[in-house]
Amino acid sequence: MEFLLEITVEEMPSSHVRTALEDIGARLGRELAAAKIPVSSLRTYGTCRRLVVLADLAGSQEAREELVTGPPKSVAYGADGLPTAAALGFARSRGIDVGRLEVVKTDKGEYVGFRRIEQGKDAAEILGRIVPQAIGALSFPKMMRWGEGQFRFSRPIRNILCLLGGTTVPFAIDGLSSTNTTAGHKIRSPLTITVTSFAQYKDALQEHLVILDAGERKAAILSQIEYLLAPLQAQLYSDPELLDKLANDVECPLVLLGDFPEPYLELPLEILSTAMREGQKLFSVVKGKKQLPCFLGVADVPADPKGFIRKGNERVLRARLEDARFFWEQDLKTSLKKRAPALKHVLFQEKLGSYDDKTQRLKKIVSYLCDRLEGCQEAAGVMTAAEFCKTDLVTDMVREFPSLQGKVGGLYARAEGLPAEVSQAIYEHYQPVGLDDESPASLAGAVLSIADKLDSIIGVVGIGVQTTGSSDPFGLRRNAQGICKIILDRKLDFSFPRLMAKVLAVYGDKLKRPKAEILDYTREFFLNRLRYIYERRGYRYDLVNAALGAGIDNIVHSFSRVKALDGLKASPQFEPFILMAKRVNNILTGQPAGPLNADLFVEKAERNLFSTFSIVKDNVGPMIAKGDFAQAQKMVFRLQPGLDEFFNGVLVMAEDKKLRKNRLALLQAIRGILLQMADYSQVVVEGDASTAKK
Amino acid sequence: MSLQSLILNLQRYWADQGCYLAPSYDVEVGAGTMTPDTFFRVLDKRSWKVAYVQPSRRPTDGRYGENPHRVQKHHQFQVIIKPSPADIQRLYIDCLTSLGIDLKDHDLRFDEDDWESPTIGAWGVGWQVMLDGLEISQFTYFQQAGGLEVFPVPVEITYGLERLEMFLEEKDNIYDLKWSEDVSYRDLRFEEERQFSEYNFNQASVRSLREAFGSAEREAVRLIERKLILPAYDMCLKCSHAFNLLDSRGAISVTERVKMIAQIRALVNRIALGFTGAEGAS
Repeated sequence: MEFLLEITVEEMPSSHVRTALEDIGARLGRELAAAKIPVSSLRTYGTCRRLVVLADLAGSQEAREELVTGPPKSVAYGADGLPTAAALGFARSRGIDVGRLEVVKTDKGEYVGFRRIEQGKDAAEILGRIVPQAIGALSFPKMMRWGEGQFRFSRPIRNILCLLGGTTVPFAIDGLSSTNTTAGHKIRSPLTITVTSFAQYKDALQEHLVILDAGERKAAILSQIEYLLAPLQAQLYSDPELLDKLANDVECPLVLLGDFPEPYLELPLEILSTAMREGQKLFSVVKGKKQLPCFLGVADVPADPKGFIRKGNERVLRARLEDARFFWEQDLKTSLKKRAPALKHVLFQEKLGSYDDKTQRLKKIVSYLCDRLEGCQEAAGVMTAAEFCKTDLVTDMVREFPSLQGKVGGLYARAEGLPAEVSQAIYEHYQPVGLDDESPASLAGAVLSIADKLDSIIGVVGIGVQTTGSSDPFGLRRNAQGICKIILDRKLDFSFPRLMAKVLAVYGDKLKRPKAEILDYTREFFLNRLRYIYERRGYRYDLVNAALGAGIDNIVHSFSRVKALDGLKASPQFEPFILMAKRVNNILTGQPAGPLNADLFVEKAERNLFSTFSIVKDNVGPMIAKGDFAQAQKMVFRLQPGLDEFFNGVLVMAEDKKLRKNRLALLQAIRGILLQMADYSQVVVEGDASTAKK
Repeated sequence: MSLQSLILNLQRYWADQGCYLAPSYDVEVGAGTMTPDTFFRVLDKRSWKVAYVQPSRRPTDGRYGENPHRVQKHHQFQVIIKPSPADIQRLYIDCLTSLGIDLKDHDLRFDEDDWESPTIGAWGVGWQVMLDGLEISQFTYFQQAGGLEVFPVPVEITYGLERLEMFLEEKDNIYDLKWSEDVSYRDLRFEEERQFSEYNFNQASVRSLREAFGSAEREAVRLIERKLILPAYDMCLKCSHAFNLLDSRGAISVTERVKMIAQIRALVNRIALGFTGAEGAS
């Protein structure tokens, strides 16, 4: 049977629409399954004004077989095997023939009982309960009440259409009863429409200027854009986030191409596009990398025959660009250098001081990093960049467009004639904003970005802010991921723990939390971020855990470890080797470390293993130092035959205490090498009970 | 077409919806939300409908009369209806139609924009209403005021009168608007903007403003203790205006800003508790 639910709301934020649809689809699916109502399909649709679920369900619950138990078997049957009065009484009380009784085994022993078929309830009855529950369970980052109700939602709910097989499923939420009606486009065609089926609903909406499917709306926007831009041979300045938002914000998309006066083109593309996006939600139009004096807007109308909408948007945009140009010209009157002292009055964080304090710290961290990174010594620009990178916080442009922090500084640095490497490093030092954003293209930008982000992380961790679940008020996760991405993208080879210690030292005694605790927390925090990044790149979770188990002393190496494991996971040596490594691990559990003495070996197998170990150890050291874990991994595979022979031919737990200790010491030394590669005990292989099925 | 006829039309429309037409409040405020006709009336459980014009001062927005859009004093048309009716968006849309805007020719959008005023401990959920890309109103369901949850939920509609009139007259410059048929916005306001910008940015005495802030704050505390809630609230408005002027004089550091806002908010919270009769009870 066709199930259709439409929740009509006042305009919800696009991000809420997306999560609400995912959530309600999943919830209803779960609840229907729990209620034993077979579902053959379920999907969602939505706009900012309606959340829609369409499903194909069975008309009732599956019939259910139920076991009714009576007296214990010992009481129910006599020694002659015939039913006793107790059994007869039980059968009579349940209205069944005594012959239907059977013996059933339970936890408490054997009882008599019988099976009966419970007919399922109508789906409509079940839906009347679970739909309002599912709606009530939806949660949003910010929720509200309205009118005289106590119900909380993203925005006020104004109508709930709920049909099963064309008939209204009756229920009410906070006094609002479900209906079989909807309405067309709120501004253009707000007529009440009676709904009988999804096909008729979708057609009626279309007729009343609502395209229900977000994919169709997005496609319509894109094809109109293409049509408008073709004659100009121009392109959309790509902004997927804005496109997705607009595809939810409008029910009837019309793309408009408008103009603005050419003189504004003297403003950089970054500023023009931000002025267009923020406020009016307009797209920039570019040819190559050059902005053209026009924009694209998406209206929620079928047409703009009189051109009012285009002209209106042009007028508003002109005013915005005029403001932006005013800021640009005003700001350029004061150099970044002259602005720097004003950072003393801009707070970074109450307990961590001003942005001037941060700048002084950045200079020290950047200088430390430059001493350790190849090619950085010459990039003298990076110190100047560190000095000025935060000065754009006291410009009017950043006050107007906070999202342009960093970029504005870079643009001003360039406009006032600072060296290109300085302006580029400033421009890039917030990058990457997310894992899909680009890392800084210059080494100076990369170094500055790492320094800035790690300073924030250590500082915020150091004043005791915990980042848990959805709470990450300082964006620490994003910052940590940015650092990891830069290090991995640029293959920056340096000791990460030492950098953390340096950043911590630069804070002096400003951070109240114990130093060891700060470092532990931060290290764990980065481990989790790296785990997330590697798994996002498609590596098996157990291989990632194994690689990270060898530590993150060097982040580039940690990734090489993952790749090495991944590259060898299909080789025939891999699985036996893992099992062997686990065996070594198991036997060493709880054993104290001891000295290894080559003179104490008595058996051939242990001597052989020791000599292989010595060769492997000598070879693997330089490979690990170079970060060549693929080679190193292959090298340690060579231990396998020796270990096999050892375990088969030598009694590790020998009676003789000296022999035993020495053999354990050999295994410990081997484990020491293995642990530089990976914590193999984390790898899941078939036929291994200790790690199977997480 | 003029600002004056726009105001008359809005008054007529919302009076027809049962709103009482309040006079503008006579203490400087940054927004219509801050006057007693909104602030106190959203706190209790009684139904309430009010509409009024409120001159609103934002000293830092001054541009010496040189910017065609920004002014340090503009006019808001404020509507409060409590509890929020189910058809409030429809009422709002119909109001625009009644002003002569044919929505078939325009793009009207309710664009996510949650409102908050840290100074009076208030926040709400809603939209900025955009007409062909121009923000003409703020539409908010109040959730908290004076730091207290509000119930029933009031809806607030704030029209930016100059903005809306620029749309209606298709003007690019605020000073080209007509206030009435014979009086232009320039006649009335240009010199005021020029002089007040000079005062706000360069002349206002930082010392007297700090004294004014301090004495209004002390007075508010004293009045709250004597259960004179309404005058105490006026003192908070005076604090707020002094704060805004100090801000435009560039006399407030970031930490000081946080502290001063927190000071006002704490007072306003006590006033809200006093008004609802909860102070002392908790």
